[in-house]
Amino acid sequence: MKILVTVKRVPDPESSIKVNPEGTGIVESGLKWVVNPFDEIAIEEALRIKEAQGDVEVVVVSVGVSESQEQLRTGLAMGADRAILVKADRPDTAAVAKILVKLVEKEQPTLVILGKQAIDDDSNEVGQMLAHLLGWPQATFISKLTFAGDKASVECIREVDGGMETIAFALPAIITADLRLNEPRYASLPGIMKARKKPMEEIDAASLGVDLTPRVRIKKMAPPPARTAGRKVESVDELINALQTEAKVM
Amino acid sequence: MSDTLVNLRDIRFVLYEMLDVEALTKYDYFADYSKDTFDTVLEAAYKLAREVCWPSYAEMDRVGATFDAKTGETSVPKCMHRIWQAYKEGGWGGETAPAEVGGQQLPACVAAATSLMFNAANTAANMYVAGAGGAAGLILSFGSDTLKKVYVEKLYAGEWGGTMCLTEPQAGSSLSDVKSTAVKAKDGDHYLLTGTKCFISSGDHDLTENIVHPVLARIPGAPAGVKGISLFIVPKYRVGDDGAVGELNDVVTAGIEHKLGIRGNATATLNFGDRGECRGWLLGEPNRGLAYMFQLMNHARIGTGLQATSLASNAYQHALQYTRERAQSRKISEKDPASPQVPIIKHSDVRRMLLTQKATTEGLFALLAYAASLGDKELCSPDEAERLAATDMLDVLTPVCKAYGSEASYDSIVQAIQCYGGYGFSEEFPLAQMLRDCKVFPIYEGTNGIQALDLLGRKVVMKNGAAFKAVLDEISKTVAEASRVESLKDMAVKVAAASDAVGDVTAHLAGIAMGGDIELYMSAATPYLRMFSRLVISWLFLWQSTLAQKALEACAGDENYYKGKLGTARFYLNNELPHLHATVQILKNGERTALDFDEAWF
Ligand SMILES: Cc1cc2nc3c(=O)[nH]c(=O)nc-3n(C[C@H](O)[C@H](O)[C@H](O)COP(=O)(O)OP(=O)(O)OC[C@H]3O[C@@H](n4cnc5c(N)ncnc54)[C@H](O)[C@@H]3O)c2cc1C
Repeated sequence: MKILVTVKRVPDPESSIKVNPEGTGIVESGLKWVVNPFDEIAIEEALRIKEAQGDVEVVVVSVGVSESQEQLRTGLAMGADRAILVKADRPDTAAVAKILVKLVEKEQPTLVILGKQAIDDDSNEVGQMLAHLLGWPQATFISKLTFAGDKASVECIREVDGGMETIAFALPAIITADLRLNEPRYASLPGIMKARKKPMEEIDAASLGVDLTPRVRIKKMAPPPARTAGRKVESVDELINALQTEAKVM
Repeated sequence: MSDTLVNLRDIRFVLYEMLDVEALTKYDYFADYSKDTFDTVLEAAYKLAREVCWPSYAEMDRVGATFDAKTGETSVPKCMHRIWQAYKEGGWGGETAPAEVGGQQLPACVAAATSLMFNAANTAANMYVAGAGGAAGLILSFGSDTLKKVYVEKLYAGEWGGTMCLTEPQAGSSLSDVKSTAVKAKDGDHYLLTGTKCFISSGDHDLTENIVHPVLARIPGAPAGVKGISLFIVPKYRVGDDGAVGELNDVVTAGIEHKLGIRGNATATLNFGDRGECRGWLLGEPNRGLAYMFQLMNHARIGTGLQATSLASNAYQHALQYTRERAQSRKISEKDPASPQVPIIKHSDVRRMLLTQKATTEGLFALLAYAASLGDKELCSPDEAERLAATDMLDVLTPVCKAYGSEASYDSIVQAIQCYGGYGFSEEFPLAQMLRDCKVFPIYEGTNGIQALDLLGRKVVMKNGAAFKAVLDEISKTVAEASRVESLKDMAVKVAAASDAVGDVTAHLAGIAMGGDIELYMSAATPYLRMFSRLVISWLFLWQSTLAQKALEACAGDENYYKGKLGTARFYLNNELPHLHATVQILKNGERTALDFDEAWF
């Protein structure tokens, strides 16, 4: 079996993000970049399947700038078998999904595992779009994955509003990982050294013959308004009044 | 609370731009590495430090290591087990160890960076790892094949813990007074040890199935003093030649210290051989023990500098974030009391405190990583002259790393707390713990007083002053380079003048020693060390400035970083370096008040 796992290069969630003066994006210089945390969970899940089933190849894939190699290397150090980098300049979610379709056609995986969303723009779209384009079953926001005895289908628990949903479906399929699916391992030193010898293929997005024209344009980016200081009120009445007339939340 | 721990950009500058770590990969020993792998290693270490080690920092202190007098068992805080597991799974215990014993052969200067991260996150925790690695290194260097086979891999892999047992109640600074004894057994290849060791870091715990103690002791009939001390490997539980752990080896924990800081690390008093059944195996030759131990100690002294610097780095990152957020008062020019208060980072006195910390932590990391890189050269340069030169430089710089590293770091954390005002004094914030933790570094691994004696009494005069002169020569090279950069000329002049002054006063002191007043000579040791350290740090800043200026001229991007580096260097040279000249004056004046002060007058 082959599992394709997506890995996106995103700013470290701990870094303080500033919008650039032109309001077209964020200031990228000096930022620390990491593997999207939900993608780490996706990698971990693929590795656990490999450890449980043996004959599984885990391929990590990233679409983006050449520096995304660093994040792919972390995936390899965690234990993935090989990596593919598709070089593309700021593709939007639709373009990423279309690129992934090409890779799926080429690699023929049984399972594609993605993080449920990337923590940079929180779009939460690629997995769904990919499933649609391929016409494959999908299970998003999963917190548990179990293979059926014949390994031809899986059962997933999805985290949905107000509860859990259990669904079963045939493979091949698309899965997007939620926070509680597992706790990802840390890259080990021996793992890092082994990763050096693992193959990393580079593909130019333009060579894949897909339409990369962005469908989404960022018109303006602005930081959320700064929080203003709180204020003490004298009585419940005054509080209710303030909530109604000033905050307008009641 | 800041989660930054250390300045990652500065670490990359030091490793890649200043020390050119990539060049090490041309040596066979490091050929498996590349810049990419170094990056991944740094990334992995930082992630582990921040996500696993740092969240337990407070718990290590609050819970601390505990000793149950009834059972005689020592336990570490629960969080420590998880950290140990993570270190073990990650292979971090064997970071720099050779591949043939399961290590990763990482260059020591890259390991200096990961050590900065791990110690910044949780230094008491990291000491358990360092202990095991230290014991393994000793056995690997000096042990018999059997000892190597039984112990080395297990220690690096984190299966077993390790310590270093030097100190005894009557032998702290004065190791020549060690009196533990080791008598050759009649029925085997081992010795029987008796004695008490105190203040033993990671001396007992429940992390591993065995703990391996390298112990200094005397064989009956050995010469008095340092020439009669041997080194033994003493396991807590006896081990068969097949590595199987057997019965207790008559090593008994009498208790652990209740300490000011690093409370998560068990500092144990160990009784060896109360029942006459404590077996130890001689390492190397008899009576050479202290020399062997010094291989480990020299390494550990740089490690101590790193521990201290890491805490100062973390404290600085906290202070930086805090002073950007805490609003208090207005600019002096603002007369309107109704105008909003400004973040305190806008006040020049706060910026002075921040710059002091920035200069201390960056200057010290440059020194420590440089020292580690000398170790890499010593290990793998094919050129014998280069290897010897590296050893000499390292000999001179080691006491600077340990003593100035620990002292300046402590002072730096004091400044960080000052930036926090009253909140810094509160245990609610982590800075108070950092200060408490940091106080041990001027004390252990040989007190800073002993380091100063080592520098002036041994290192400055060794090889007729050649090693010391080698450092001054390196400084001249950097000065020459910087003098060619227009905007750095004034800084180069300052460093050159400082170097000359240090050379001068060293010759002056040598005259005193040669004249026979050795007491006066040695009484200069601590001010001398501080003075020399300021020269060394200024030199490294000048070196860094040259690189930063070139990067700016080449428009390599990252302008704020490079301008910050130049400003920090200038701050150190303008504010810290001048103290050197005061010390020079004091030493030239033949200051001897402390020496002559009658004890009855105290
Ligand atoms: C937390 C902790 C962990 C430790 N871990 C270990 C360990 O793992 N293994 C180990 O073997 N030891 C360990 N030690 C012991 C440590 O190395 C000693 O405490 C240290 O060497 C000083 O010895 P002492 O405490 O006996 O002080 P003393 O030697 O009594 O020194 C007291 C003071 O006198 C000064 N002094 C002493 N002699 C001279 C001199 N000749 N000239 C000028 N000044 C002098 C010292 O500088 C110091 O200021 C640890 C100590 C602590 C606190």
